[in-house]
Amino acid sequence: MSAPLLEARNLTKRFPGVTALRDVAFDLRAGEVHALCGENGAGKSTLIKLLSGIHPHGSYEGELLVDGGSVAFHSIRDAEAAGIAVITQEFALVDELSVAENIFLGRAPRRGLRVDWLGMHQRATALLADFGLAIAPATLVRDLGIGQKQLVEIVRAMDKKTRVLVLDEPTAALTEQEVAVLLDHLRRLRAQGTACIYISHKLDEVFAIADRITVLRDGASVTTLAIREASVPLLIQHMVGRELGDLFPRRPAFALDEVQLSVRGLQVAPSRHAPPFLRDITFELRGGEVLGFGGLMGAGRSELLLHLFGAWGHRAAGDVTLHGKSFSDPTPRAAIAGGLALVTEDRKRYGLVLDQPIGFNLSLSSLAQFTRTAARLDLPAEHVCNQRFFESLRVKAPDQRARVGGLSGGNQQKVVLGKSLMTEPTVVMLDEPTRGIDVGAKLEVYELINRLTTAGKAVILVSSELPELMGMSDRIIMLHEGKIGGEFARADFAQEKLLAAAMGHAARAA
Amino acid sequence: MNAKLFKNLAMPIALVAICVFFAVKEPAFLGPRNLTQLIVEFSITGTLAMGMFMILLTGQIDLSVGSGVGLIGGIAAVLVFQHGWPAPAAMGLAFVAALVLWTAMGTLIVRQRIPSFIITLGGLLIFKGLFWLVIQNSTIPVSRGDEENLYSRLTTYYLPDSIGFALVTVVLILLNVLEWRSRVARTAHQISNPPVARTAAKWIVMAAVSLGLVYFFNHFRGVPLSLLVLAGTAGVVYFLTQHTPFGRYLYAIGGNEEAAVLSGIAVNRVLVGAYVLMGVTVALTGFMTTAYSGASTTTVGDLMELDAIAACVIGGTALKGGRGTVWGVIFGALIMTALLNGMTLLAVSPEIKFIARGGVLTLAVWMDVKLGRQ
Repeated sequence: MSAPLLEARNLTKRFPGVTALRDVAFDLRAGEVHALCGENGAGKSTLIKLLSGIHPHGSYEGELLVDGGSVAFHSIRDAEAAGIAVITQEFALVDELSVAENIFLGRAPRRGLRVDWLGMHQRATALLADFGLAIAPATLVRDLGIGQKQLVEIVRAMDKKTRVLVLDEPTAALTEQEVAVLLDHLRRLRAQGTACIYISHKLDEVFAIADRITVLRDGASVTTLAIREASVPLLIQHMVGRELGDLFPRRPAFALDEVQLSVRGLQVAPSRHAPPFLRDITFELRGGEVLGFGGLMGAGRSELLLHLFGAWGHRAAGDVTLHGKSFSDPTPRAAIAGGLALVTEDRKRYGLVLDQPIGFNLSLSSLAQFTRTAARLDLPAEHVCNQRFFESLRVKAPDQRARVGGLSGGNQQKVVLGKSLMTEPTVVMLDEPTRGIDVGAKLEVYELINRLTTAGKAVILVSSELPELMGMSDRIIMLHEGKIGGEFARADFAQEKLLAAAMGHAARAA
Repeated sequence: MNAKLFKNLAMPIALVAICVFFAVKEPAFLGPRNLTQLIVEFSITGTLAMGMFMILLTGQIDLSVGSGVGLIGGIAAVLVFQHGWPAPAAMGLAFVAALVLWTAMGTLIVRQRIPSFIITLGGLLIFKGLFWLVIQNSTIPVSRGDEENLYSRLTTYYLPDSIGFALVTVVLILLNVLEWRSRVARTAHQISNPPVARTAAKWIVMAAVSLGLVYFFNHFRGVPLSLLVLAGTAGVVYFLTQHTPFGRYLYAIGGNEEAAVLSGIAVNRVLVGAYVLMGVTVALTGFMTTAYSGASTTTVGDLMELDAIAACVIGGTALKGGRGTVWGVIFGALIMTALLNGMTLLAVSPEIKFIARGGVLTLAVWMDVKLGRQ
């Protein structure tokens, strides 16, 4: 057999205080899709950064080979010259330029000193047509959907004679339909001989596209499996290093507590003079139960939680009662004081102060607990409390002084959860709490939900993943265009019924 | 790694380099007379920078403080000189005026959501106009005739030798007690303490430097009163930023305002609080700088907002908020003052002084951008 297209031998990468990769072996053959799996912090991103020249040659130990020959990448440019292109979740596209301009960004065809606009558009049209993409080259990138942006990036990479395409969580923000389109394109590229490294937390995608899977755990390459040898339980076992039981270990409470939160006839508008977006929202939430909220993008799930928390919209009508007391003029401060906690979907934007340490973030909402006379903070007491959450949530970091911005997604999510839980809430609202985090961290979130309900707290869970919603909720309300599309008890959970309700096809069952 | 080391050492090296340069050019730079003067100027700039520091931490800015310094000092001077008020009463009223003005600006910024840049730019012009109206474009001494009062003594009073020593000793003992108490508390909570030797070494260095400085000052006239004002202000700001929820919130708002709101922080109240404290330091600086020039004149306070901002940024405070320390600001103010004082001593022309001042400010912001980007 000929030499692999790309090979890594004994790669070890040390950061101050952490060994991110130890002795990693990895190889990629022409015309294969090779998936990289592992928990957050297992070393996937670090490996990608080595392969793509972001961590330059000399900053690591071990050897990189392309076509069997040793290579030394000193920059991303070197890696690109060798035919390796990385496409990450953060797009490297300029929103205000056209698709064609983006494809040829930095290397526009020229005619003398002038840009050859006509030639550029012709070539872009041809490229897009090759890909079967119905996008006009003159479209501004900002008018594209996320899935289309991703494809434009791939088109750009392919025009640069890329042989190795690295996709880091390409589908995190895509709809199922967009995912299918993306996977089709990857299959076609594979047939043409392009090799692809595919990183995703979504195992069903991995099984749909990958030829081989390499599992990383704690910086080491644990195993490489051909797809026919692999199964979901086996993969998860390798990733977490232990056997896992049920993926959704929901333990319903024996008896429900009294009503904690009651919402009646709620109408909420984005602003004072706009027509209401959320309409006729009515539900009750008892201690010990998990109420799931599902629905399509834009159905109003996040808006509902943000409004209850006092951070969105103008209440046109309706009553909200928290622990039997009317909660008519909500602000985040009042909500927290009333025992409400919200873990937002976009943790980097709404949840964390990325420049500050873990401890700073954990106690940020709870400083009143540690305030003594003359507004003095009891720093040792705060440290101890932070440490308790830091340890019980198993945040992977050297200690609580580590900067939050340097943590992986799952660990950041744990810090956000810890911050909310430290306020000692009775109603916990979780908006997509497992988005972008790995299987092991997901399980920890589920276990946490169980612990909360066992302790008599009420949980609202918003999730776009139906299996998760069905697995973890005791009751589900599907929202459709700002209204309740259907309410289901656990016995009635079925994907088709839930989806029908989300699309507004079901009469309201109660 | 190297960038971090560079960042930590850049300030002390720059300070030493500036001092060496001026000392070689003009040996009197390091003489007791000039150093005492330098320390008074440092106290003035440093006090204003302390207020600016808290504003910058939240990611806001205040361009009005230079005019404000002139206005507040002018109000007190007019009350003393033209209306015969006792200095404490005059300063008290001017102080209240500062609180009212800065509360109003802070409230406008948070309630009406007008960018602080614009509001305080308006403040810069309005306060300057008010200032000139108050002093009628003339020169108003801070005391009548040759008599001395609290106002005029602000920058001319020096602590008697023994009091200077006694005060520093008390502070050193107090720091030691606080350190000991924090160690006991940490032990009680089973948190590890830094090694005793290191803490002791730090304390000894601090004691040696501060007692040495007092000894040095006593050779001339004693420890300047204005340095006490700065020390008190810096102590309070240090306590606020490091040991109170208010200080945490300043960092949190500057780091991520949206997250701060959703964390239940009363962002508006904290921001107004930062502006009120800015008003307090403006008043203190206004009294000191007016007293230092002996009278309120139309140029008092000119461009001081930029010196304060430069001191903060040189000291590592991020202009986009969320990052900075009190110690850094003190160093920044020292560098800024040493530069201005040295140039004055060398009789550098005002044209060149402006250019140098601008150069330093630009350099500091460039470093902020450069180093903030790691």
